[in-house]
Order: sequence, then C-alpha cells, then structure tokens
Amino acid sequence: MTAAALLTVADLASFYGRAQILHGIGFTCAAGEVVVLLGRNGAGKSTTMKSLIGLVRPAQGRVTFAGADITGAEPHRIARLGLGYVPEERRVFAGLTVAENLDIGRQAPRPGLAPWTPARLYALFPNLAAARDRAAGQMSGGEQQMLAIARTLMGNPRLVLLDEPSEGLSPLIVEQMAEAILALKAEGVGIVLAEQNLHFAERLGDRAVVIEKGAAVWAGSLAALAADDAARQRFLAVGVET
Amino acid sequence: MVGGGQLLLSLLTGLADAAGLFFVASGLTVIFGVTRVVNFAHGSLTMLGAYCGWSLISRLPPTPLGFALGTLATMVLLAVIGAGLEIGLLRRVYRAPELFQLLATFGVVLMTQDIVQWLWGVEDLALRRPPWLRAFVRLGGARFPRFDLIVIALFPLVFLLLWLVFTRTRWGRLVRAATEDREMVAALGVDQRLLFTSVFALGAALAGLGGVLMLPDASANLGMDLTTVTDAFVVVVVGGLGSLPGAAAASLLIGLLQAFGIMLVPRATLALVFVVMAVVLVLRPNGLLGRPPGRGGVLGEVRALVRPAPHVLRWLGLAALILAALAPLLLGPYALAVGTEMLIAMLFAASLHFMMGPGGMVSFGHAAWFGIGAYASAFAVHLLAAPMPVGLLLAPLAAGLIAALFGAFVVRLSGVYLAMLTLAFAQITWAIAFQWVDLTGGDNGILGVWPARLVAGPRGFYWLALTLAVAGTLGLRAVLAAPFGYTLRGGRDSRVRAEAIGLPVTAIQLTAFALSAAAAGLAGGLYAYAKGSVFPTYISLGHSVDALLMVLLGGVATMSGPILGALAYTGLYDVLLSATSLWRLALGAAIIVLVLAAPEGIAGGALKLWQRRRPA
Repeated sequence: MTAAALLTVADLASFYGRAQILHGIGFTCAAGEVVVLLGRNGAGKSTTMKSLIGLVRPAQGRVTFAGADITGAEPHRIARLGLGYVPEERRVFAGLTVAENLDIGRQAPRPGLAPWTPARLYALFPNLAAARDRAAGQMSGGEQQMLAIARTLMGNPRLVLLDEPSEGLSPLIVEQMAEAILALKAEGVGIVLAEQNLHFAERLGDRAVVIEKGAAVWAGSLAALAADDAARQRFLAVGVET
Repeated sequence: MVGGGQLLLSLLTGLADAAGLFFVASGLTVIFGVTRVVNFAHGSLTMLGAYCGWSLISRLPPTPLGFALGTLATMVLLAVIGAGLEIGLLRRVYRAPELFQLLATFGVVLMTQDIVQWLWGVEDLALRRPPWLRAFVRLGGARFPRFDLIVIALFPLVFLLLWLVFTRTRWGRLVRAATEDREMVAALGVDQRLLFTSVFALGAALAGLGGVLMLPDASANLGMDLTTVTDAFVVVVVGGLGSLPGAAAASLLIGLLQAFGIMLVPRATLALVFVVMAVVLVLRPNGLLGRPPGRGGVLGEVRALVRPAPHVLRWLGLAALILAALAPLLLGPYALAVGTEMLIAMLFAASLHFMMGPGGMVSFGHAAWFGIGAYASAFAVHLLAAPMPVGLLLAPLAAGLIAALFGAFVVRLSGVYLAMLTLAFAQITWAIAFQWVDLTGGDNGILGVWPARLVAGPRGFYWLALTLAVAGTLGLRAVLAAPFGYTLRGGRDSRVRAEAIGLPVTAIQLTAFALSAAAAGLAGGLYAYAKGSVFPTYISLGHSVDALLMVLLGGVATMSGPILGALAYTGLYDVLLSATSLWRLALGAAIIVLVLAAPEGIAGGALKLWQRRRPA
C-alpha cells in the first residue's frame, strides 16, 4: 500500500436541524493507520462519524473515500465502498441472534483484503462463538460491542469508524477490544477511533485529531501530543478514567 | 341451549374469520414494521385484490385449480401494484412526518375508491359459485362451508411460510433487522429502497390474498376498504405493531371473539372488538407481543415555535372576521348553511389540532367527541326537553367529562398506539349509537333537534355559529399562549425532561385531552342544532379522518393551520362534489399533490414563503 490517504475529510460542516454541530473538520486516514478523534462529550466526534457514513448529510465540505467523492451520498452506498461504521450505542439488532446479526452485515469479499467469515470473527471474539444462537438483546454490553464490531467487519471494510468502543466496558473487555483493533490494523484496515479515554487512544493510535466545539483544533502524532503539554492539558481535564 | 354442534360451528366460523383477518393484517404489520408507514391504503389493496380476483377467477375455469391460479395471479398483480405505490408515492414521503405519510395513504384510499368504481361499477360483485365452492361438510348436524375449511387450513400454512421466510432467508433477516433499526441496516450497506419496495409488494400480495378469499363467502364491494383496514389495524395493534406472531395471535383472539360474541352478546358485537382492543392496550401498551417502538430519528423533529400572530396576520384575521360577520347581509341561505358548516368544521379542526399539534397526541377517533356533543344536545332536547342554551352547554360538558375519564388511559400511551386507542373509543361510541336503538334510534338517528326561535333562521344560526366557533377557537389559542400551553409543548417535546423539572405531564396531557374533546363537543352540539338531527355517522371513522385531513391540510405546526385547513377542505369538498362525479379521485389527488409539494400544509407552506421573502 502507498501512504496515500484512504479517507480524506476536508472542511466538514453539519447541522442537526438549525443547530450547527460541525464547523470545519478535516483529517485523513490511510490503510493500516489508526487515527484517534479526541474530544469531550458533545464536541462533535459522533456527528463527524455520522456525517462520514451518511447518516447525517454534511452541509459543507468534502469527503473522499477510496478515490470516490462520498460527500452527501446515501449510507448504503458509502458502506458498500468499504467504509464500516460501529456506532457508539452499538445498535445491535436485539431480536436477532448473534449469527443473524453477522449475516446482516455481510458483503462481498473486497479485493486485497482477506474476507471475514463468521468463523474468523468467532476466533477474534471467542465470547461471540459461545453465544451465536442467543438473541443479541440478551448479551452483556461488552458482548454487544464485540458483536457490533464483528457485524461491521462482515462487510469486509477497508476502513472502520469506531465510535467510543471502550465506553462503559470493564478493563478486561477493553483489553480484548484493543487487541482486536490492533489485529485489524495489522490486516491493513484503516481505523478512525473516537475516544475520550486517553490511555486507550495512546495505546492504539498513530495520529490524533482533537475536536473541540465541532472544529478540529489540533492534529499530529500521538507522540507529539504526549510531548505537547499545553494540548494535553486540555484533555487531562476530560478525565482519564477507564 | 347451545349444543356441541353449534359450538363447533362457532369455533370454525371464528377460525375462518381469524384466517381472513390474518392475511390482511400480516401484510399491514410487516409493512408498518419496516417502513413505519401507517398504511391506511391497505384496505384499498384488499379491495383491489377482491375486484381483480373476481375479474380473473370469473374468466378462469370454475375448478379449484382455476381458483388457485386466479388467486396467485391476483397476488402477483397486487404485489406489482404495491411496489408501484411504494416507488411512486411512499418513497417520496419517508422523511416526512408520520402523519403526512398517513395523509398520503388516505389520498390513495380516496383515489382507489373512484378508480374501482369507475372500472367495476357500483354493484357488489359476487363470484359465480361452482358446486365445489358451494359444498358443505356436515358437522354434528350443522352444515359448514367446505371452502371455509380451506381458508382455515391456509392460516397456519401462510403463517409458517412467512415465518420461514423471515427466519431462514437473508431477505427475511434484513426485514427483521430493518424493523428494529433501519438506519443501522443502511449503514451496513443494505439498500433500503429495495427492501422497502419488496416489503410493500409482499404486504400488498397478502392483502390481495385476503381480498380474494373473501369472495366466495361475501362479494367484492366498495365499502370493504375501510371496514377491512379498520379490522386489520385492530389486529395489528392488539398483536403489537410489526410482530407477525402477534398478528396471528390477535387474529385468532378477535376472530373467535366475534364468533362467540354473536352467541353471547348479540347486541354488542360491533363494540366487542374495540372493547378488546381498548382492554389490551390499557393492559399492554405495546400490544400482546409487541416491543417498545424501535429507533426513529436520532433527534426529535425540530418543531415550529408558537409565537403571537404577526401584525399582518392579525389584521388579515380581523378583516376576515368582519367579512364573515357581514356575510349574512350579502349571502343567500344555501351559502350561509355552507358557511355555518365551515365554521363548525373550523372549531372541530382547531380542537383536534390542539391535542395533536401542541399536545402531541394524534387522534384517529376525534369524531367521538363531536358525536358525544351532538348526542348530548339531542338528548337534552328529547329527554330533558331543555332549551337550546342548556343543550349547547351540555355538549362540551359531556364530551369533556367523558374524555377526562377515558383520557386517563389514553395519555399513558403514545404515537400510533395512542391514536388506535382513540379510534377504539370512537368505534365503541359509534357502535353504541348504532346498536342501542332504543336510546339513540340507531341508524335512523334522532330528529327534531331544532334551535331556539331567536336563531332559527339561517342568518341567526350563522351568527350563533360564528360567535361560538370563533370564541372556541380563540379560546383554545389563548390556552396555548398561556403557561399551560408551554408546559403542554414541553411535555410533548420531552416527557422525561418535563417531568424532571416537576411538570405533571400526565395531568397536563389529560387536561388538554379533555379541553380538546370539550371544544369538539361544542362543535358537535352546534352541528346537531344546525342540522336538526343526529346520526351515528357523526362518529364514523370517515368523520374522524375528515378532521385529520383538515388539520394536516392546513398544517400541524402553525396555529392558523387548522382554520385554513377546515375552510379549504370543506370548500374543496363542496366544489369537487358539485363539479365532478369523480370527486374522490380529485380530492385524493389534491391531497397527494399537497403532501408532495407542501409537506408543512397550507399554512406551513405560506409561512415558509413569507419567511423566504423576509430573511430573519
């Protein structure tokens, strides 16, 4: 793979009704790279992700993915280009079994990527294997998070938008989640990770984009962020609880 | 005494009814589950199924095979019609508020009525019944149609088939997933449009099946669209919206109940079904097997604010009022009678708007309060021999009081379930008016409800109606502009937050419900004196829908919407009725055009134009 960006976001602005949530977000993410969107609650991380997958229609800006302009495209078209989305609230299909949930996410194999199968995903998330015939609604929060990720992977995405996957999970599950994300990265999948948990972000991320009040206010490597006391100061205030 | 044979016969009749209900309701519930569209046109699809089936089967050999082929062909035809309806109309209104989708499907209902009448005529069409269709089986001395046994056998068969499709095929799994969270399904790369179109096609095919299977026992007729859709709604709501097993269970419950109800309480059969629905909804607000409503939009709709009318509008309103007050000096008796009806419609629409706009409680049965008011006035005249002022006082009082009692159950629900409970109540009220002949005169109504001598002429009564309707409408407006109005809208926009700051949302909504009913009751009382008579049709579903149409035509978001809507609707209705025999086609088309062109209603559209000319 070249270092060319898989996803390029420029000057993105979005509204909920009349309220402007995003005021110009820009960043890039390459294959096999983990870009972390850092910011407080309500900063606009989730809205950024929804604008990228097409659930919120951007009012302004440009999003290109895998060489195609996807600004304002419909969610299913964007998803079919290989952009995966794992929402913050997980949104598993509660009345469907784990296996059925995986089936919903299924898409044709994508050239250059080893196709995901339920068997491979059960190996990645052993908890799911044991629960494959259980209704998703009966699973724990951590298991639902795993299922949400596995379901998105069934679409063989080139890049995954992960919205706060560590939120509300026990340290043990967070650890499993981190390993799964690193495994994905190793496969060459690009990952955009929205996080408030700085430790989790620092462990996984290559680069960070700091979002405040709907605008990207800082961008650089996580190493640079670690060295930038002034910038860090803003996030230490977020709290570093796990 | 009821013998064993009689019981068995009732059981079988009930099962056959249940099967018929299930075919139609299963289609409706599947469509609702995925698209969230309350498809009022589902009964029209059933009716089309019956008529198409009649045409096809009549041309095929009168053998079981011919019948089966005709049925399958009808289902295919209906699937195509359903897909066309989805692509041509509903696809364009998925983003519109729920109510506008309802309005659009009601436009389809009206158009279909005229199209069917134009294609097949007004006569009921009965199928020529070859011997195999006429055959009976003997059961303990009683005769039972053999065809109904086939229908009964089809019930589990169709259920099983649907169940297999929904659990064993990827398409079925997609449908179930989309029923829970269609946005997420799209984000996983599934084209919702294909899914929606195919679901609609399946639902329409099932409606067609239901329609064809009604042919041997009954006939294809022009009234079957509304009766079918009402029954199907009851089944779907009792079973739980979107739940296929729920629809099956509810079909059984209601089919059997009707069959045995006729034996046990022959005089209350019409009300029985709706009583069951009301009881189920009170005990299980999401139906027998329903889940809490799935995820809608991420954020609530952004709703228009309620502001004092701008100066221009006030002057316009005042000018209109003066003009209206002077009208009797210029217009003849017929025009004044129409004017009186318009004024009453305005109050009726304003009262519905009060609860569904700012109150957030959509009613499918608002005519109940209108009717209760009308009957209260009629009883005042006939039972109490009371003068007109007493009758006009009793009308809002009776409607308001009954609403306060019944509303306690209503305000616990929300959305479609709430709307269906109001429909249930309206149907029960209608059934009482229709079946309690000793008190209400049944279908013949109560005649001789004449106004006091002072206002007996068309002019006098027009002025009375003008005074009361305008006072009632402005009164409702004043309540909305008062702090009570703020709390009402607060409870609508976020019940949890409103309760968290200490607002008794339930009590507020109940008060609003009763006030709205009282205003509708006043309109009904006025109407009774205007017409001099009272009939069960005042409480009919059609009349409730009239009110809905007026409010939606005018626009829910603005205060002047219901007023404009009522005037436009009654005006349009009168003009179309006298201008063309295909008035339903024209009215339905007008409604659909309006939904597509101005989803905010007339007043909302005007407001938008106004704001565009004058940037804030």
